[in-house]
Amino acid sequence: MALSVNVSVEAAQEYQVQEITYDGQEIYTQPLSMSENLTKLAHKIDFGKVDDDDSQDHLESTPNFCGEEQKELVTFQPSLWPWDSVRTKLRSALTEISVLVDVLNIAKEKRYMVLDPVSQDPPEVKNVAILVAKKKGLVSAAAIIQKGAERLRISQAEGKNRSLSDFHLELLNMRQKWRLRKQGSLILGDLSYRSVGSRFWQNGTYEVTKSEQPNTTVTSLSPGGPQVPRPSALKVTLPSELEGNSYIHVVIQKDTETIAAGDFTSPFISPIHSDSHWMNKLEGAQNVLFCKELFSQLAREAVQLQPSIPNLVVGNQITASLFPGVQLCFSLCHLTAQDKSKATILPAPLENKAVLEHSLYQLLREHHHQNIHLPTPHPVTGTLGVSKRRQIAGPEALDRHTLMESCKTNTWLEQIIEQTQHTILRLRTMYIIDTYASENKDPLIVAHWASLSSPTCSSVKINIMTHGYETIYRTPLVIHVERKTLKAVCRDGRVMNLSYEPQELTYLLMSQVSQHQVNAVQCLAKVMGWKVLSSSSHVGVGPVEPIGNASSVVMASSTGDRVIAIRCGPQTDIQVSVSSSPQEQDFYPSTLVRDRKWQNLSGSFREVALEKMEGKNFLNKMENLMACLTTC
Amino acid sequence: MEPTGRRPVSAVPQQEYLLQGSIMDNSCEVLLHRLRGLCDNSELTPENFNDYEMAYQIRGPTGTPLVLRARQALDYPGNPWHLRYIGQPEVGDKNRPTLVRSSIDVSTSKNLVQFLTELGFRLESEFVLKGQVFRKGRMKIIVAKVYQLLQQGNPKNLEPISQSHLVELSVVAPSGQDALADEVKSFAEQLKPLVQLEKIDHRRLQHI
Repeated sequence: MALSVNVSVEAAQEYQVQEITYDGQEIYTQPLSMSENLTKLAHKIDFGKVDDDDSQDHLESTPNFCGEEQKELVTFQPSLWPWDSVRTKLRSALTEISVLVDVLNIAKEKRYMVLDPVSQDPPEVKNVAILVAKKKGLVSAAAIIQKGAERLRISQAEGKNRSLSDFHLELLNMRQKWRLRKQGSLILGDLSYRSVGSRFWQNGTYEVTKSEQPNTTVTSLSPGGPQVPRPSALKVTLPSELEGNSYIHVVIQKDTETIAAGDFTSPFISPIHSDSHWMNKLEGAQNVLFCKELFSQLAREAVQLQPSIPNLVVGNQITASLFPGVQLCFSLCHLTAQDKSKATILPAPLENKAVLEHSLYQLLREHHHQNIHLPTPHPVTGTLGVSKRRQIAGPEALDRHTLMESCKTNTWLEQIIEQTQHTILRLRTMYIIDTYASENKDPLIVAHWASLSSPTCSSVKINIMTHGYETIYRTPLVIHVERKTLKAVCRDGRVMNLSYEPQELTYLLMSQVSQHQVNAVQCLAKVMGWKVLSSSSHVGVGPVEPIGNASSVVMASSTGDRVIAIRCGPQTDIQVSVSSSPQEQDFYPSTLVRDRKWQNLSGSFREVALEKMEGKNFLNKMENLMACLTTC
Repeated sequence: MEPTGRRPVSAVPQQEYLLQGSIMDNSCEVLLHRLRGLCDNSELTPENFNDYEMAYQIRGPTGTPLVLRARQALDYPGNPWHLRYIGQPEVGDKNRPTLVRSSIDVSTSKNLVQFLTELGFRLESEFVLKGQVFRKGRMKIIVAKVYQLLQQGNPKNLEPISQSHLVELSVVAPSGQDALADEVKSFAEQLKPLVQLEKIDHRRLQHI
């Protein structure tokens, strides 16, 4: 004990920090004084928890306790309040117990007090109220019984006239087409695409119950009457987010006005009513799930891809840029029965591209298929689920670059953008060719679109020819429409790459037409017995063409006394000039030209007014011209 | 050069959960039919395989032989070979649903045999497996006939070992996925009574 050291336990001198102001000043909480501390501790005591036995003990010890308490109170005047309530409670309890003990003692003696049951007046009986209450109870009981009886009658009627199909038969029918399982007393179904390779997070669980609707159609089923569809005995309860119907609306927008409105709904689909057949409901719900999976994947890719013009994902819309001023817009349309009224008011938006929508669906289906159709490894001990390329990567010692290349696949969004770009380009090409062909009747332009095409490549064969002279000359031209470019293969095998700008194709057609005219005239000349003196498809002289080059041909008649010169430019009209020798029939000698023999030299060219000539088209006019200039 | 400071990714230890059994040749057709119905992609015809396996052995300094199995797909001559190390099987107690053994797989080039012989391995045994392979999720089910080679190194000259087919139900997964074992077991239950798939300890077979 001598070695004992006094250990003093006291609170740390540091005060608790209540708040630190922005200038770093710390505001401390004021420390509790001893009495406050006691008050705080006293508040923590739960007096309500005390057992009966304990209270007895308390009772015995109360006087002492109270005495001590009072002593304390004297010294610690401020702490009177918390203990005071305790004291008063205990005191009143003691008083009551004492009184009770006294009363019991007196009653036990039976001299002064006798305990007798008190005879109370019977309460006033309100007959009417009891009657009403009883009536109410009976009515509700009757309702329950009647409901049960009705249900029994329905189930018996089912067996007789089979108007309401049998629950179990229909369940069997459902089981053959949908995934069902029993869990406890519930019949649960799954309409997700998990079993065919989907890895979407949302599950499509639904519950199947027996339909409770009364069999009202039994009476309306008269033998000759119209066939009323039998009400189903099954009722499916779908999760609310899968109710209704949905589809993905694909639109190619040209203007930027309605870009990414974000709240697109479409009136194109008919919503599924709550009372429609379970088959329709399930199919609709499955469709909703499918579209959601597709859309979520597209949205993810749209955010991840970093094109020069960023993709927009707003609400239920994704907008991706295809060409300058042209956007592709996907919208996830989900329509439930509640939205029906709203949808009908909306004006019809841009036309849905069903083909692109279908391609999108195809992409997801392919993805699902790939997920569960992984190649089996050979030898069979190999790891499952590894693509063939990765299997050979190790043994073939592929480098990092090759491996990365082989793993690279186009995202869905890229694929669908490519397809859309091609679609736009194809439509644009079609439009340009058709417009040009309708504007220019001479020569005729005939386009044959190849029936075999892929989603990102198609081709058109264009024949330029003159009506009536088809066999003499024709200019073929093949145009391959790709994703962003056009590839034109000309008659002479030249390949020209054009961009998506529509003007370029128009220019090409114009130059092809002008060259066609000149080439056709040359062929015609051969038939007519004329000689081609010179021809050039790119003339270097004369007025400069705004685009392309003019082509020209000079032809002489069989006797050589007449020469026709033709110049044809892509944008300028055809010019035909004629020169003849001898120049003129009459000769007047002048001081310069004295002899008639000089008349035999070919004279200057004079232009032919083509529009005044007879003939259906240019070649016809040229034929006439050659015919009349030919001297026998 | 790869950037330094990148730690090599250590391979996750793989474990094979395995159940084996055998079925007589004449009832094999029924089993195949049932498997086709139970397994994935039942719309496709089941995939055949024809594998040639060689077990190579080397004695290490400790004296315990190390066995490596080289496999080649005879029907896919272009495919890489497959080298496999299989650890000691853990049979465990009755409660463990499947046999578990560690497994290391690697695809190799075609000169594997030469490489192994130069390392000092020598051929211990060889056989050919011909049969069909099924998939169910991550499970692989093979039903195959085991052939022995009449002439060493010539997998064309074969003789069946028995009148029955080997049935193997296996999953290779990173260790610690014991729920898979239950999945394997429950699938095996569905094949009863056609075939009784069990944990078979090969070491015990050798002692008999």
